[in-house]
Amino acid sequence: MGKRNQLVEVLGSGKRLKGLRVDAVYNPNTTDRKQPGYPMPMRSCYLTGVCTPSPWLFSPPFYVSYSFIWVTNLFLLVQREEKQLEASLDALLSQVADLKNSLGSFICKLENEYGRLTWPSVLDSFALLSGQLNTLNKVLKHEKTPLFRNQVIIPLVLSPDRDEDLMRQTEGRVPVFSHEVVPDHLRTKPDPEVEEQEKQLTTDAARIGADAAQKQIQSLNKMCSNLLEKISKEERESESGGLRPNKQTFNPTDTNALVAAVAFGKGLSNWRPSGSSGPGQPGQPGAGTILAGTSGLQQVQMAGAPSQQQPMLSGVQMAQAGQPGKMPSGIKTNIKSASMHPYQRPSCLVFILAVPLRCKVKKLLGQEEKKNARLQLW
Amino acid sequence: MEAPPVTMMPVTGGTINMMEYLLQGSVLDHSLESLIHRLRGLCDNMEPETFLDHEMVFLLKGQQASPFVLRARRSMDRAGAPWHLRYLGQPEMGDKNRHALVRNCVDIATSENLTDFLMEMGFRMDHEFVAKGHLFRKGIMKIMVYKIFRILVPGNTDSTEALSLSYLVELSVVAPAGQDVVSDDMKNFAEQLKPLVHLEKIDPKRLM
Repeated sequence: MGKRNQLVEVLGSGKRLKGLRVDAVYNPNTTDRKQPGYPMPMRSCYLTGVCTPSPWLFSPPFYVSYSFIWVTNLFLLVQREEKQLEASLDALLSQVADLKNSLGSFICKLENEYGRLTWPSVLDSFALLSGQLNTLNKVLKHEKTPLFRNQVIIPLVLSPDRDEDLMRQTEGRVPVFSHEVVPDHLRTKPDPEVEEQEKQLTTDAARIGADAAQKQIQSLNKMCSNLLEKISKEERESESGGLRPNKQTFNPTDTNALVAAVAFGKGLSNWRPSGSSGPGQPGQPGAGTILAGTSGLQQVQMAGAPSQQQPMLSGVQMAQAGQPGKMPSGIKTNIKSASMHPYQRPSCLVFILAVPLRCKVKKLLGQEEKKNARLQLW
Repeated sequence: MEAPPVTMMPVTGGTINMMEYLLQGSVLDHSLESLIHRLRGLCDNMEPETFLDHEMVFLLKGQQASPFVLRARRSMDRAGAPWHLRYLGQPEMGDKNRHALVRNCVDIATSENLTDFLMEMGFRMDHEFVAKGHLFRKGIMKIMVYKIFRILVPGNTDSTEALSLSYLVELSVVAPAGQDVVSDDMKNFAEQLKPLVHLEKIDPKRLM
């Protein structure tokens, strides 16, 4: 209440009351602010009443008796109003400070955490701001709050010098109270252009008839609901689309088969008799052995046979390679050629020669083979 | 188990002891497109690479039960490319902390008379197949999506037949031994391919 009250003081010794517009009521005994004519600046009346000294006394000036009570009442009233104003201003200040803090932290969050900011947390911040704005509105509309719009602030001094006080109070935002900043900071009305626009909108709104407005509202609602429907439909579809690929994209059995194939050729050589115990058996007439054509056992067994018909047989036997059951009887004639090139690349002759040996070899090796198979890794 | 004919110990000295970390899975033919799309999005930005390889697996049998296995691979669609000889050690499943199968591996590029050389050494072919598919890379990770064809007539890669209706998917990293952290990256990558493909560490011994 410091400075403002000093201004209210009615000063003696002919000093003028200055700088305060008293928004007093027309009838000083009532607090009803809504009486007709309110607010009526009472300065002239007041000053007249106060400042008229008794003509026969020199000094100090004093109030004429008829106006004395009136003035006292007015003072009480002004004091009460001042108190209310102070209280509501304080409430307003604290609300605005809260709002400012949450705005500050929200901006800080947006600037520093935008990478990991989640939508729910943004919504939380918005909810907080909206709550605080609501409280502020409530404070403003409270019946004990005087109408701030009736308060007038008059800049008494404009100075181009730096004002430390002001600097502190505005947290460093306003260093000087000069002609440059005053119009902005003391502004109580929007910019003229904005005001103009608002006026235009208001007249536009007024010009449209109730029916036309209703129609427009309806069409807007319709558009919104259509849009909503489309969005939710799209959502449903994408959800069901997400579920649809439940259809198998892989088959564990295939995985196993393929892994076994690359790891040890399982299922690859379909010409190998099933049940052969593994690729590495010496002398075993499996596909691998035949293919390689380098098995020592086979060569040893075939080495003694005569061979004269190699050219003819190679063609014939090539064709019959896949049918081990139907071997021509002249096979053994080829043995020599096979044995002459023990490290030759896959030889069909050897293959064919090997087939009739299969049973014999199997019998011979049967027992031992089984034992080996168990030991063998592959 | 008896000692193998050739040392199965990690090859040391000269070359670094490299290990292959491996995850395997498969995808059905009709889902191949989606997988390729996803891989193109996930992997390094490179031209889509395809391959058509013929792989022959050679064995060297000693007196002992376990044969020594070498894999020879040649490109069928790129003439003049070197052959590729590969030794793979016994796969280790490891514990839960390691998310991939690990096996010793030695890779060598060779000339094209590799088969003759192996034959002369006493190796013989055990099986062969044709692999055709796509190759992707992401950092040191290699992703292969390929179909395996069995060869109908031995030695003739023209007449082949698909082994199954699926493509094999392999995610592998070759790294020096002890770099188990790479398996974490592999696991993360495999997670991103779900539910399209489930890449797992599959113990081949289980499938014998």
